[in-house]
Amino acid sequence: MSTAQLISIDTIRAAVASVDDPEYPGLSIVDLGLVETCDVNERGEVTIELVPTFTGCPALNVIADDVTQAVAAVDGVTSTHVGWLLSPTWTTDRISDIGKAILAERFTVAVQIGPKASTCPRCGGPLTDESMFGPSRCRSVSRCNACVETIEVMRA
Amino acid sequence: MTALRNYILSFADDEHLMGQQHIEWIGVAPFLEEDLAFSSIGQDELGHAVMLYELVLGIDETEPTDQAIDALAYRRPADHYRSSAFVEFGTTNWAEALVRHWIYDMVEQLRWELVATSSFEPLAIVAQRADREERFHRRHGDALLDTLLHESNTDARTRIVQALDNLAPMLGSLLEPPADEAQIIADGVASASVASLHEAAIAAIDERFGTNLDPSTGTPGDGQRLTRSEAFAPLMSRMCEVLDLDPQAAW
Repeated sequence: MSTAQLISIDTIRAAVASVDDPEYPGLSIVDLGLVETCDVNERGEVTIELVPTFTGCPALNVIADDVTQAVAAVDGVTSTHVGWLLSPTWTTDRISDIGKAILAERFTVAVQIGPKASTCPRCGGPLTDESMFGPSRCRSVSRCNACVETIEVMRA
Repeated sequence: MTALRNYILSFADDEHLMGQQHIEWIGVAPFLEEDLAFSSIGQDELGHAVMLYELVLGIDETEPTDQAIDALAYRRPADHYRSSAFVEFGTTNWAEALVRHWIYDMVEQLRWELVATSSFEPLAIVAQRADREERFHRRHGDALLDTLLHESNTDARTRIVQALDNLAPMLGSLLEPPADEAQIIADGVASASVASLHEAAIAAIDERFGTNLDPSTGTPGDGQRLTRSEAFAPLMSRMCEVLDLDPQAAW
């Protein structure tokens, strides 16, 4: 009898969901929309496919290592393969509602969906672009006209 | 070396060296936003280089580990690189860095378009991925040049035009086809020769900078990207400065 057959895909998904984005502790990579597929076969071999926010993101290795570690800790897992996909393309609409709420409440980060202007996560006021580039490749910098706070914006 | 490998490697090496050159401005760009912009833009070019080096390793039937990518990126002898003099050139001032950034990204967009519907599907996927990231680069270059060329003093314009004078003759190296490019086009990997972009590139430069360049400026060379410019060795030495301290170190 093989115990590996007992691993449910939900257990693997939960392990993957326990991994946070390195820049946003408390924000799961699932809520950030990085996880494309999770698979486990009857031999306990797990394959996870992830989508990078940007191809040059320096956190990719850290994230892949964290996922490998989390999955390897699941009882019955014999091997873990984590791959980065070039397609589909990550966009901000892959961020879940929970993810958006965490970004807004804990990190004061707004999320820009498509060309639509985003609003201030603190007061809901309109934002003015300050800089196309921010502290990392996936963020730009705006300013809230209402509360005059500087706001980072996750962009597509 | 297959024609396909050669073709992808020439793009990968340009992306890699361009990214490295941009990143050298971190901390010394004229203002903070430019530090951030050049670090983000350089990071994108390095990301594109990694994707392209992975395709090269695939052709070599080598597992694309970090070590294998680094070996390709940093540890080849100079005559195995296929980069252009345009990206190897060591800029001496900010105007040159900015003008090169704009010209490079303008040409880069056209190069991705050549392979957007490539018969080598992994390359088409990389092209689509990269092109989406590139629009930020073009917006950035245009916004800054709009300000400096049209809303600033004549000193800014003089410096930019001088930088363009220095860089435009090197456009030919950026548009120089790698060996056996004809095979690549016949196979449907690329839709046309990189050299065929010359006229459009000159027109784009004239429109951007308000110049009237001689149509023969920066005519694509026929050296098949086989030789490195004199700027290559010092650039490589700067790039590998830390790595050379302990080549066996685990990062």
